[in-house]
Amino acid sequence: MSQPPPKSSFAAGLITALPIALGYFPIAFSFGVAATRAGLGVIEAFGLSLIIYAGAAQFLALALITGGAPVLVSAFTLVAMNVRHVLYGPALIKRAGADARTRHAWAWAFGLTDEVFGAALGALARGKVRFSEPFMFGLTIGAYASWLSGTALGAFAGGGALEGWPAVDAALGFMLPALFLALLLSILSRAQLPVIAIAGGTTVAVTLAWSGTAGILAGMVAGAVSGVLGLGREKSGRGKHAG
Amino acid sequence: MRAEILTLALIVGACTWAFRYFPTKANLSAIAPDGLLSRFLAATGPAAIATLFVASALPMLGGGAKLPLVCGVAAVVAVYAITRSVVGATLAGSAAYGLVVWLAAATG
Repeated sequence: MSQPPPKSSFAAGLITALPIALGYFPIAFSFGVAATRAGLGVIEAFGLSLIIYAGAAQFLALALITGGAPVLVSAFTLVAMNVRHVLYGPALIKRAGADARTRHAWAWAFGLTDEVFGAALGALARGKVRFSEPFMFGLTIGAYASWLSGTALGAFAGGGALEGWPAVDAALGFMLPALFLALLLSILSRAQLPVIAIAGGTTVAVTLAWSGTAGILAGMVAGAVSGVLGLGREKSGRGKHAG
Repeated sequence: MRAEILTLALIVGACTWAFRYFPTKANLSAIAPDGLLSRFLAATGPAAIATLFVASALPMLGGGAKLPLVCGVAAVVAVYAITRSVVGATLAGSAAYGLVVWLAAATG
């Protein structure tokens, strides 16, 4: 019987974070550019990344801020969007094993984004690493540093940085829908298709009939209610989690 | 930093941290698998992300050229299907979208 590998180090976490960091940097850069284009200052753009640290929610925050949505409505929308993160901790700890220490989880769990969760779970599942809190710190700090530096550079470059590069500007403009679609694919399961269809259909209908903000709220509520009513139930077990 | 932006960031940041941290300590097996809370948790994430994808892509259907959107979506789906990487699929979709825009400008 083979011995389990020794608990992975902070450096192993940093190495595991490398692909995430490479992907995060351009997305964060586009957020910084979009934020300054939306009228936010460099400190405000950086502050959103520093405090919220949730890419899709940050992009949506820009739309809500520039759309003049009330703070509490915006907060509710963004918080509702991030509720999915409650599923990540239990899934990760279950994979880590019963003896996993979580004494400092209050710190490293701040960085438990979709991609960090996916990378940690994948590395643990492949047996390449063994859960440890230093490993989680390396993983989360590597990704967080990339997100913050990308945001800062994008915000310093400013909203007009890409005026001479329309194709790059267009590509960065599609970054948000692409991120949402990829996240959607990562949590997709057959049982959730009715929830997704109802949420998407309601969003289109209410947006066309009323407004974009109302469409977002109505879509989320309709999708969640349809799940409570049992339209998104698995026949056995849960759907897979985000990566 | 404007007070309303700081307030928004602190509320969302605190809740997001709570969503990420507290479940690492909680025994979610106590939640009934078929209970209302369990169903709500299971449905909220997909509902939110589906809503936001539609809301962010919808304005792009309003313009004349839809080819970049189609190619961008196809690239996201294809790369995700191959790599199972959210980051990789996002970057591929964005690159495909920009490439089609660039080709359209160069040839048109």
